[in-house]
Amino acid sequence: MRMQLLHLYWNEFRKRRKKTSLITFAIAWGALSLLLLMSFGRGLSNAGSVSFKGLGSTMIMVTRGQTSKPFQGLPRARRIHIHMEDLELLKRQIPGIALISPEANNSHDLSYRGKESNRSVNGVYPCFAEMRSQIPEAGGRFINDLDQEKARRVAFIGWSVARELFGDTDPVGKELRIEQTPFTVIGVMKKKQQSSMYQGPDSETVYIPFSTFCQIDFQRFLDRIHIRPAHPGDALFMENQVRRVLGRKYRFADDDANAVNFWNTIRDYETGAKIFKGIEMFLSVIGALTLLIGAVGVTNLMYAVVKERTREIGIKMALGARRRHIVMQFFLETFAIFFKGTLWGALIAFNIVSLVNLVPVGYDDFGIEAYLLRPIFSFDILIVFLVVLFVLVFISGIFPALRASRQNPIEALRYE
Amino acid sequence: MIEFRNISKVYKMGEVEFVALKGVFITVRQGEFLSIMGPSGSGKSTLMNIIGCLDTPTEGFYYLEGENVAGLTFDQLSTIRNRKVGFVFQNFNLLPYATAYENIELPMLFNGKKAGARRQRVSELLEMVGLSPWARHRPTEMSGGQQQRVAIARALAMDPPIILADEPTGNLDSKSGHEIMEIFSRLWKGGRTILMVTHDPAIAAFSQSTIRLLDGAVQQDGAAT
Ligand SMILES: Nc1ncnc2c1ncn2[C@@H]1O[C@H](COP(=O)(O)OP(=O)(O)O)[C@@H](O)[C@H]1O
Ligand SMILES: [Mg+2]
Repeated sequence: MRMQLLHLYWNEFRKRRKKTSLITFAIAWGALSLLLLMSFGRGLSNAGSVSFKGLGSTMIMVTRGQTSKPFQGLPRARRIHIHMEDLELLKRQIPGIALISPEANNSHDLSYRGKESNRSVNGVYPCFAEMRSQIPEAGGRFINDLDQEKARRVAFIGWSVARELFGDTDPVGKELRIEQTPFTVIGVMKKKQQSSMYQGPDSETVYIPFSTFCQIDFQRFLDRIHIRPAHPGDALFMENQVRRVLGRKYRFADDDANAVNFWNTIRDYETGAKIFKGIEMFLSVIGALTLLIGAVGVTNLMYAVVKERTREIGIKMALGARRRHIVMQFFLETFAIFFKGTLWGALIAFNIVSLVNLVPVGYDDFGIEAYLLRPIFSFDILIVFLVVLFVLVFISGIFPALRASRQNPIEALRYE
Repeated sequence: MIEFRNISKVYKMGEVEFVALKGVFITVRQGEFLSIMGPSGSGKSTLMNIIGCLDTPTEGFYYLEGENVAGLTFDQLSTIRNRKVGFVFQNFNLLPYATAYENIELPMLFNGKKAGARRQRVSELLEMVGLSPWARHRPTEMSGGQQQRVAIARALAMDPPIILADEPTGNLDSKSGHEIMEIFSRLWKGGRTILMVTHDPAIAAFSQSTIRLLDGAVQQDGAAT
């Protein structure tokens, strides 16, 4: 297409355009809706997976249960507890366990310089931190192997506990008393979003080495065992393996779902992610439909423009315009309207997203704002947007343009 | 150069059929200047449109430079309109949002001529019709005679062998009309084939020969004048 021809088309577009402002606004509105819904949807989805990971995204948690069916002459409704020795048993019998940690907990009185509180104190292994996404604030650390080996009196505390007992002072290195026994605080948990939990949020918990826990609080049973499989894909397989091994020891059926309980966050995470992706897609479709309404408006406008320019089309045909010369003109006009509207819509959308992201979001109360106030633009959102846009430009432009080019030259020239 | 064999044109308007041309035979040799006369509605414009490949006959054969035009695609007909014929209309039919320069350049844009060649040709033509100072003006800023001269320049842009003028002076005062006719005479002397529709015998007098149409049929008295 010649530059001069484009120049002529541009002049005809500018000088002869129907009132395009309303349509441009409709396109801007549609583009804005689509972009915002996609980015807020993605933000929602991200917040969802972040808070899932707050509990730990790749782990299986085993807790005690009660048999739900008789087995080898034993009655149903027997309580099944898990013990420390089971840890070794599982490690020995099941290949593919990457990390494994016991957990036992009890509520204890805590104090620091006269401030008191009663919180859950949990004994765990060092690898617990990794499975449960517990990251220390700068200057602190989690329990390590030596702490566990020597049963040191050290504590890693949740950020709510830290604020409650230590206020603004840095707890690391301070002496925290658990039932009058002095413990050295070695780290404070970095804030994280956590949407699912057992027994209470991690922020309100004190973690100490499992070995130390056994000295201050004698318990016959474990509360939980945490396992991370080497391959997240093996989550379900791992769950069945654990049930089988424990079933052999405690004598319950392989298919007894309640004898021991599992919390398989890998499976939860996958389901959750699917739900959030579903919501995200649903929002995107609504946005695309909004833009589609604008596109229908453009098509209408273009039909009117074709009608208005009928004579000019006839003149061009008489001078030797080919079909593509005519098609191109109306196609380009459609594109120009979309371009202007989209530019405005995108500009506003980018600004809204940037502004909303400035609003601070707290982590303590994993409230609604973390889901709603973190919209995000990513490359794939942009690609989807452009694809939707070009499909709509094509669909809304092609029919008026074809009508223009398929006219009979004589009829067009005679048109008043 | 132009040969009509038994050309008929029937317009269908719903149920009603209207015969605009019936069984027309004409032959126009290269370099001829032919005027077509006849009352309004006798089919003169229809004849011109078929010659210029803007319209197609319902029946009969049309040979343009020996080539049968029937069955050509839209784009092939576009090429003929672009290279072989130049149209001049009664109401000028200039593009309102293009300058005189741009109007004249347009046929060359559809053809893909190089920019330098286009510029050269447009200024040549503007000079020929005496409108060089008006290059940057739009049709609305020009008189009817000037507009028609732009239209003639535009018709000549691709240097077509045939000029088709449908009542070129119909909307002009007699002075402008004569100016236009002088241009046509010069073109004819330059070797171009010219077909012109007119009501005015004084205008027809510029041509070599005249044919008359009545109710879509040629009245055979078209001897040379
Ligand atoms: N596109 C058309 N559809 C229907 N009727 C037409 C069409 N073009 C021309 N006619 C009719 O055909 C007849 C001849 O028209 P035309 O060739 O324009 O006559 P002229 O130019 O001699 O006045 C007229 O009666 C006109 O109404
Ligand atoms: Mg006529």
